[in-house]
Formats: sequence, structure tokens, C-alpha cells
Amino acid sequence: MSRSDAKRHLLLRRQLNKLRWLSLSLVFVTLVLLPLLSIYQNYTAAHAYDLLEPGQKQLYDVMEWLTGAFTDDPATDLNAVKGTTWSASLFGYKISDPLAVVSQIAASLTLYWPFVLTALVPLVASMLLGRIYCGWICPATFLYELNDNLGSWLRRAGIQLPDRVLWRPLKYLVLATGLVLAAITGSVVTAAIYPPAIIGRELYYGIALGGFGAGAVFFLLTLLFDHLVARRGFCRYLCPGGALYSLLGRFRVLRIQRDVANCNDCTKCNAACQFGLDPMGDGFGQECNNCSACISACPTDALLFKLRINDLPAQGPGHLGHAYRKQRHVSRDENQAA
Amino acid sequence: MQRRTFLIRLAAGVAASQLPSAQAARGGLRYLRPPGAQDESAFVANCIRCGKCGEVCPNRSIQFFGNENGFASRDTPYIIPREQACILCMKCGEVCPTGALARIPREAAPILAKVDMGKAQVNEDLCLSYQGKTCGVCYRACPLQDVAIRVQRLEQPVVSDACVGCGLCERSCIQLPQAIRVIPRHVTV
Repeated sequence: MSRSDAKRHLLLRRQLNKLRWLSLSLVFVTLVLLPLLSIYQNYTAAHAYDLLEPGQKQLYDVMEWLTGAFTDDPATDLNAVKGTTWSASLFGYKISDPLAVVSQIAASLTLYWPFVLTALVPLVASMLLGRIYCGWICPATFLYELNDNLGSWLRRAGIQLPDRVLWRPLKYLVLATGLVLAAITGSVVTAAIYPPAIIGRELYYGIALGGFGAGAVFFLLTLLFDHLVARRGFCRYLCPGGALYSLLGRFRVLRIQRDVANCNDCTKCNAACQFGLDPMGDGFGQECNNCSACISACPTDALLFKLRINDLPAQGPGHLGHAYRKQRHVSRDENQAA
Repeated sequence: MQRRTFLIRLAAGVAASQLPSAQAARGGLRYLRPPGAQDESAFVANCIRCGKCGEVCPNRSIQFFGNENGFASRDTPYIIPREQACILCMKCGEVCPTGALARIPREAAPILAKVDMGKAQVNEDLCLSYQGKTCGVCYRACPLQDVAIRVQRLEQPVVSDACVGCGLCERSCIQLPQAIRVIPRHVTV
């Protein structure tokens, strides 16, 4: 490996996908940890260490070890961080998913400003950064990507899995239908079909309340959908939250763009894109969740995050590739002939 | 098993898990909403099912519906007082982002004024004190003693209109089945 190569491997953009996985894992681990902390808080509130079963004592000890450095009064202090990505309380501030706010407005047909404002930060972030929530935070994405890896192994083992191309705007229809149903039934029904909300809840049910609920069945079905209908199909075609974030991110400022001068048409980016987009042909669009998988996959560093309002129009074949050189030769020959 | 039968059974199982059970149709479930809840229809419309009320509940009173109460109230919080009653700590109202549970300070006056989960009702045929065996456990369990519940001779309990319906009396009743029950607000209306 030459020196410049070594330098290139240390570039941040090569590590972006790992960084994103770190973020996804941290969110997921937090969602597992919170129910455990909740149980621990119940034990401490009850002053009942002596009455606990051995397994419960172990949990108590581990949680005490984890939190002991931060608090002397876990029963109260640990309430500082509660909730899920659907709606969370963080050190006195509340932050909610924009879909939760939109659904609550649809179901109750009223505006409750203290709640609407809790979605302000994610709202602005999505308008600037697009589906960044989908790619970097969503606890369902964490599981869907693992599920997609499983799909790759199955394919490698010779099992044929379909990857149908469905109608992309389907998810906007799901979002609209969900909101109309919320208004008709007077109940926040989108909460029952939105995977990250389901995951947050079901982890709490499963860990703290001793059993998964009906939402877990729905989530398992979406995992099957991804294998039996289309790769990452739920996120791409059905997720109401993904639809909302796509709409919000229509004019996002942060975009991945291809530097055509460095591209060699190797198609690794297109293979890396689980959403089936076309980074090599400059086809990103509002579905792109800025996940950076294509950036990390690119061997020539031709894909970059750029601050632009619009995608580039198709730039044709990469300048380091065969197709482009052939084109050049043809045009040069034509010039010489003329 | 044939593929078709398998798929049909799978679909039936999934449908069964997603649809309201027969219990909801019978209306047999007597549950309370957490303290400070809006009326039933407004509560269901405003609750976004974030589950934070249950997470902060120090007494583990708050449970969450599956489909047993109909699809509309799926994943909404409820309390079965006989299993684990509310201790009126009012933490759930603090974390509720949508105002479906009102924020109420943990003091007697605002709790008496604003909390209305239901009202306790004594069944004198079952109550030991009314049957001549002095008991008074419900009276002692009540966090609003002498306001929500009073006792007569032989510790016979009398519930007043001030009762907020926390259910600690029902939880502590030593009789089986319990002689004092909270009738939820959304049932009496």
C-alpha cells in the first residue's frame, strides 16, 4: 500500500458508514437499556433488594454499577431520560417524531402547541438533512439492515429472493391513508404501523412488562416483506414516517453527489445502496436517506456529501471508466476525420 | 403440511393477533386510565402511544392494551386497580408530551380538583365491616383518608364524592372477591 493509499483509508468519509452504524447501535442499545433502568428504578423505589429473586438482584447490581457514578437517587434522577425515538424526554426537554405530531393533530383535530414544538428539532433537521432519521437513528433501520445482511447471505447460499420494483409513491399513499384513518377513528393509528414506534414500545413490553405485544407480529411481517417482496421494501414503499421525512427532505441542503471526474463506473455504489437508488447515474432523489453506504463503498472517493439544494442532472459515464474513454476516442477520431 | 394450508393458517394466526378479542365485544374489562387523563375519546385521540407514562410509573401500575379493548385503544395505558393500583405520584402527567394526561402537582388540593379516574363503590353484602367483622383496611389504604372515604361504627366504609378513583382501597381489600371496587369514570358516564 502506498502512502497516499494509507492516507485515503484514514479519511473520514471512508468511515462514515461505520460511524452511522455506531449511531444506530447506540440508539438501539439505549432502547434496550431504558426498560432495564425502568425496572431497576422500580426496585429502588420499593426499597426491596432483600425481597428480589437472584436474577433480579443481578440486574439490580449491574444497573447500579452502570448508573452509580451519575446518581445517588436513581428512582428520581433516572427519569431524566425516558421514552423512545417516537417521543422522548431528555433532561427536561421533550422531543417527538414529526409523524407523531401530524398523527395526533389528525386524530384529535386540535393543535396542542407544547406538543407541536417538541417536533421542531427533528423537523428542521429533516428539512436540512433529508431522511437522516431513517439512515442514522431509526431503531427499525438497525434491524432492517441486519435483516438485509441475512438476505445477502441467503442469496449467496443460493436461495432466490425476489426484489420487485413497486410504485415508489405508495408510501405517500400509506401516510395519507393513515392520517385519514386517524381522523375517522379518532385514534393515532399510525403508531401501530410505524416500525420505529413499534420497536421502542415492544422492547419496553418485552423487557419490562414480560411479553411482546401485537406490534411484534406486525414487525415480523415487515421483515418477511423485505425478504419475500422487495429488498428493504417496507422502508422504500410502505413506511409512513419515511414518506413524511422524504417530503420534508425534498429540498434538503445536504446531498450525496457524484464527482464524475473520479468515477470509474464500477457500480459498487449501486450494489451498496439498499434502497435501490442509482448513485452511479446521479439518481438520488428524495428517497435517499443520506446513509453514506455508497460513499464508503466507493473505491475512488467519487461520492461526496455536498451542500446543494438540488441533485445534479445525469452526468454520464465516469471519467475513469471504459465507456467514457471510448466516447472520447470516438469523438477524437471524428475530429481527426473532419 | 401443504403450502396453501400453511399460508392460510399463518394468515389466520396473524389476523387473530391483530383483531379485537371477544372480551372487548362483551365489554367485560374494567380498567382505569392513568390519573389526569382526558375523557375517553379525547384521550384515545391525543395519546400517541409513546409509553413514557408506564416507564416512569414507580409502582408499575400502568399496563398497555393489546387488542383486548378494540383497535382504537391499542397500546394506550390502563390500570387494573386490583392488580396494581395508582399511588397518585403524578409522574405520568409530567412526561406525557401531548396533554392526554394533564400535568398535576402532587398536592391534595389539585389532585382532588383534577383527578377523576373513577369512584369507589362498596358492596355491603361482601364487606366484612358491614357483616359485623371490624376491618377498615380500605380506609387505611386510602391516600385521601377522611376526605374520599370515611368510616362509621365497626369501621364500615363510606365513599364520598371526593374519591378520585386511585384504587388503593380495592387493591388492599382482604375480601375475595373484593368488597370495594372502583367504577371507572368512562363507565359511569
